[in-house]
Amino acid sequence: MAGLIPPPSQATAILNDAASKQQKQKEEEKVDYMNLPCPIPYEEIHREAFMSLKPELFEGLRFDFTKGLNQKFSLSHSVMMGPTEIPSQSSETIKIPTAHYEFGANFIDPELMLIGRVMTDGRVNARVKCDLTDNLTLKANAQLTNEPHMSHGMLNFDYKGKDYRGQFQLGNGALLGASYIQSVTRHLALGGEVFWAGQHRKSGIGYAARYETDKMVATGQVASTGMVVMSYVQKVSEKVSLASDFMYNYMSNDVTSSVGYDYILRQCRLRGKIDSNGCTAAYLEERLNMGLNFILSAELDHKKKDYKFGFGLTVG
Amino acid sequence: MASQSRKGGVFLPERRAAKAEPNILTKLTQSPIVSRGKRSACDAVSVTKKLIRSTGKAAWIAGTTFLILVVPLIIEMDREQQLNDLELQQASLLGAPPALP
Repeated sequence: MAGLIPPPSQATAILNDAASKQQKQKEEEKVDYMNLPCPIPYEEIHREAFMSLKPELFEGLRFDFTKGLNQKFSLSHSVMMGPTEIPSQSSETIKIPTAHYEFGANFIDPELMLIGRVMTDGRVNARVKCDLTDNLTLKANAQLTNEPHMSHGMLNFDYKGKDYRGQFQLGNGALLGASYIQSVTRHLALGGEVFWAGQHRKSGIGYAARYETDKMVATGQVASTGMVVMSYVQKVSEKVSLASDFMYNYMSNDVTSSVGYDYILRQCRLRGKIDSNGCTAAYLEERLNMGLNFILSAELDHKKKDYKFGFGLTVG
Repeated sequence: MASQSRKGGVFLPERRAAKAEPNILTKLTQSPIVSRGKRSACDAVSVTKKLIRSTGKAAWIAGTTFLILVVPLIIEMDREQQLNDLELQQASLLGAPPALP
């Protein structure tokens, strides 16, 4: 018995250690409300979960080439080939083979970012991000197509405060929106949004919450359009994170939830997920060399008997 | 019965004996136990068929899902492990500061 009980000096040391630990924890728990971290933007609150669960799956071949002309200016070329789904009323998916070439020009500067893309079918995409002052950022996004009523334009003003962020949104079709997110404690951020779409005479309101620690991120979002989105990401280690999400639409009564993993290894990044519709997907980005990435994408939908496989190369 | 309906059928004495025997056979085959047994056998066969088919389908789905989700993961983990081993070996060969005795 004597051997099991540590000598008194050691015991007091342990006790002291434990006490100091507790104090530290208490200090951590005590929230310094004047010194809260800045939350992440309202539209990105599900960022971690969506990064893991919604990779850019594609079908067919992709080739992307980016050439930097100088430090700030670069040109990009990309080729896409493969079957494209055509929306149809019947349950069977109809695919026709297509091929696209996309030319892009990027100008990236810490204060000004200009990105333009032109596709061979006539689509033009332009994005601007400009820091007007230290706190105010202007973002613009425009998409032009040769089909009527399919062109979009959007203008965002983002204001970044010390522990809050606000955004004002202006879009075509008399779309107006505003959102605000505030850090409440060190880990918790709460936010809300309102929007009004003048063309469809619709308005809505939404709320969101995000809880974040070093090991996990949990988010929840509700909107008056009937959408409920919840997500949870657990960071198992530096390389591995597990994510799950749940989506419910009150209006159309459809529910989907999915679980997935995200491995970031030295040579590759591998993401896999399976969802409640019986859809399995995996996305592998393998780094073959400096600036040369090989991409494999797979998606199986057993219910619809729809199988998509793609491979690609990214250079530069 | 068939011989009677047939025109110009010749009556044969063996037929009668043959006629008497099917009576017993039909009695036997029409007995409730046999018919029940037949039905249950048919049911069993169809259930087994369905079971095999659905098991096969489940196995197919499970197999393809495994192929998509787990096989690349195993391969990449193995590669990572190999890379780590190689690095460790090189470090020990090149005479890195001997942290481990």
